[in-house]
Amino acid sequence: MIGGAAASLRICRLGLVIWGALMCLVLSGGRADAAAYDRARLIGQLCSAEASDVLHGLNGMLAEAPGGSLADGRWALGVAQAFSAKALRCGPDGHGFLALPSGEVDAVSLAPAAAPADSRAPLPSLRARRVLEQVDAALRVFVAAKAADRLDAVRTLARHSEGVPANLAQTALAGEHDPEVARALRAWLVEAGLHAPDVAARLAAIAALGGDARAQTANQLMSLRADPAYAADPRVAAALDAAIAHVRFWLRIGDALSLLYNGLSAGSVLFMSAAGLAIIFGLMGVINLAQGEFIMIGAYVTFSVQQTLGAFAPSWIAWYPLVAVPVVFLLTGAVGVVVEVAVIRHLYRRPLMTLLATWAISLLLINLVRVTFGTQNLQFRTPPYLTGGVRVVGDFLVTWNHLFAIGFALLAFAATQALLRLTDLGLFIRAVTQNRAMAGCVGVSTRRIDMAAFGFGAGLAGLGGLALSPIYNVNPTMGTGFIIDSFMVVVLGGVGSLFGTALAALGIGLVNVGIEPFYGAVAAKVIALLMIILLIQWRPEGLIPALGRR
Amino acid sequence: MKGEGSTWLAAGLLSLLLVLLPLLGFGLLPGLALPIYAVNLAGQVMCFALLAMAVDLMWGGAGVLSLGHGLFFAFGGYLCAMHLLRSAYAATHKLPDFLLFMGHGGFPSWWRLADSAPLTLLAVLVLPALLAFAFGYVSFRSRVNGVYFSIITQALTYTAMLLMFRNDTGFGGNNGMTGFHAIAGLPAGGLAAAVLLASLSTAAVLAALLGGRALLASRFGRLLRAIRDDEPRLRFLGYDTLWLKLAAWCASATLAAIAGMLYVPQVGIINPSLLDPTLSLEIAVWVAIGGRGGLTGAILGAVLVNVLKFWLSAAAPTLWPFVLALLVLLVVLALPNGLLDLRNRSRAWLLELAPASLPRRRPAR
Repeated sequence: MIGGAAASLRICRLGLVIWGALMCLVLSGGRADAAAYDRARLIGQLCSAEASDVLHGLNGMLAEAPGGSLADGRWALGVAQAFSAKALRCGPDGHGFLALPSGEVDAVSLAPAAAPADSRAPLPSLRARRVLEQVDAALRVFVAAKAADRLDAVRTLARHSEGVPANLAQTALAGEHDPEVARALRAWLVEAGLHAPDVAARLAAIAALGGDARAQTANQLMSLRADPAYAADPRVAAALDAAIAHVRFWLRIGDALSLLYNGLSAGSVLFMSAAGLAIIFGLMGVINLAQGEFIMIGAYVTFSVQQTLGAFAPSWIAWYPLVAVPVVFLLTGAVGVVVEVAVIRHLYRRPLMTLLATWAISLLLINLVRVTFGTQNLQFRTPPYLTGGVRVVGDFLVTWNHLFAIGFALLAFAATQALLRLTDLGLFIRAVTQNRAMAGCVGVSTRRIDMAAFGFGAGLAGLGGLALSPIYNVNPTMGTGFIIDSFMVVVLGGVGSLFGTALAALGIGLVNVGIEPFYGAVAAKVIALLMIILLIQWRPEGLIPALGRR
Repeated sequence: MKGEGSTWLAAGLLSLLLVLLPLLGFGLLPGLALPIYAVNLAGQVMCFALLAMAVDLMWGGAGVLSLGHGLFFAFGGYLCAMHLLRSAYAATHKLPDFLLFMGHGGFPSWWRLADSAPLTLLAVLVLPALLAFAFGYVSFRSRVNGVYFSIITQALTYTAMLLMFRNDTGFGGNNGMTGFHAIAGLPAGGLAAAVLLASLSTAAVLAALLGGRALLASRFGRLLRAIRDDEPRLRFLGYDTLWLKLAAWCASATLAAIAGMLYVPQVGIINPSLLDPTLSLEIAVWVAIGGRGGLTGAILGAVLVNVLKFWLSAAAPTLWPFVLALLVLLVVLALPNGLLDLRNRSRAWLLELAPASLPRRRPAR
């Protein structure tokens, strides 16, 4: 989730970089005025035999960390790291040298110089080591080139913040351009403010914390509120109460939104797998038990497209989901056409037998894929624009992969609706659905329509597999999990229109997702099934039944 | 009634098996002894045959395909397992692990239901039928039939599987129930118990075959077939098809529950995998392969497919699904009424090949 948030902030990053660069300019201008380290004195203190001198020197380094220039910072970091690695050599005259892997250098000027033979390598005391660790982290916050390194340093400082200069976090935040490090710095600032002796600072920190509605913040605020010593000041208590109420309010909104979002995403997935099923069922009265396997084939074709792109056009690999769309549709549709021509066509008017036949086909497909690809989950190289998400409000995270599935389902809905309403094929499909015999009489080739519709339904399921591939585990048996839910959608929605299917898919998705947090996934399924059985009492043909005689 | 001859042939073979099982199992015939696993296997296959007959009663009889008979099978099995665990507890005073894991100090009070064997048997005969009645009533009443009905039965079984996979349901969760101590006083897993159970199963199949044939030949059976062929017409004629279908549906559920009750002590364990929709689908596949409508086809299909499955899944595990799938496709496409069709078809084919060489068939009545 952290990585995801980083990616989601990519858009802001350019702005931040520019802003950060400007701030750097401003700051480096400011830093030139700051007093540079008195390097010789510092080395002298570190080389002193007196423990208090050493501590004094280290504390000085810590205090100077936010103020020094970049070069000073690098120098100090080098000295601190050498000291902690026992690579600081102290000559008898108090002159210091650093024993670097590349050779010994003068500690002040960093010019190559050999340490005298009688120089000693001082061992930092335990107390000195603690400060040394802080110094190292404090310097790294400013100097380290890698964001991960700086993040680690900030976390170290947040853990051991006693004695760290108060302005360090502020200064570092001003110069920081990595959003994640900046967030860690801000969290540290708030954390420090919460326990600041000054009431105004505390109030500001509480308000800042309250503005960031997360479950974690709510817990933190509540534990502070429960602490009688902390909430002794009525102003602090009132601020805490206000902040808690605010956080709770937004958390509730966020929870509601994420419920809606997850329901929408589950419904989209259901729609993709059920739409083809509903069309085929409406047209031919056949339930295709292999529909889940068409989803699985779609996902495997997507994977193959990704592998092919990786081998022949690596620069295109991030766009494999888009490249795969036509390939998946055509290939899965072709499999569907083959199944229709080879099996389904011969079972016309024996729908119960088609159940068994399509089950046999699903068994065959699962095992063919298992033999070819193996049983393990496929490792997709999910493109960066489909990983992570952006936190909108509370703990509600809009994840890109789910958004992809939702958008994909919307597109599929629009395309299918257009096909059914605007094209000749759609007209024929609707005609055959309403009255097969009459459609045949007026010259519609019902067999060809069956074939085309079956292929289209299969292709749609294949696209469902494509949309799922960033969300679900892709393995040979993945299809079996969808099939029963998809049936429920068809039973609930009826076969009259695509709207019925979409409505039922969203309804079942929302019920599943809505009940799950309270009673568990199993109860959600049980309740959904009971609701459907009861609903059939009221509307036996589903929400939107097919028109015409059947 | 078609297939009269095959019924008597099947009944004869079952009777022979019923006689041979104790004789061969205990090695009473010189030089011929059946190992215990073969006895056990025969018993299991007989349970599957009973289960297939339950499905055939509905499918072949009334044209209603259930893809959820695993539910009733498992219902009977769970009731039986409860009784066996209760009697094991009475003997050893050791609680089953799954109750300890869930923090129960003893059996939940309603497990007393399974204390006595007659009461358990009554429960097996009544409770699954009640469940079937409740579900059948709401479904048949709103005229859910055909593919719809099959799909909903499958969803029901799937939901039950999810429910039983949970540990807090109190039936052992995904590990199921095992650790049976004794079956009717005979040590579980012993030869005597195996022979007894296999014989009981065979006897049940025989009884169900004869009873089922009588039922199908009766007025009730004719009405069922009328439902299969044209339910609306029967309704227009004034019959309330709801109750006819419900009666057959409940009888079928009870038959499946009995099969489950006999099956569980033979395998020594029950877990939710019996509720897997795949098993329920496979039952329909046995019936389809054997041939619908006459009950003998169901037995033939169940025996054939399961023996093939036991043999192939040991000999060539990766091959088995392909064989099963191709077998189903072959039967469904080429032999619409299963292997029993082979007899009629082969005659037609032979006649085509050599019209003169076969004796003429008696004209059909």
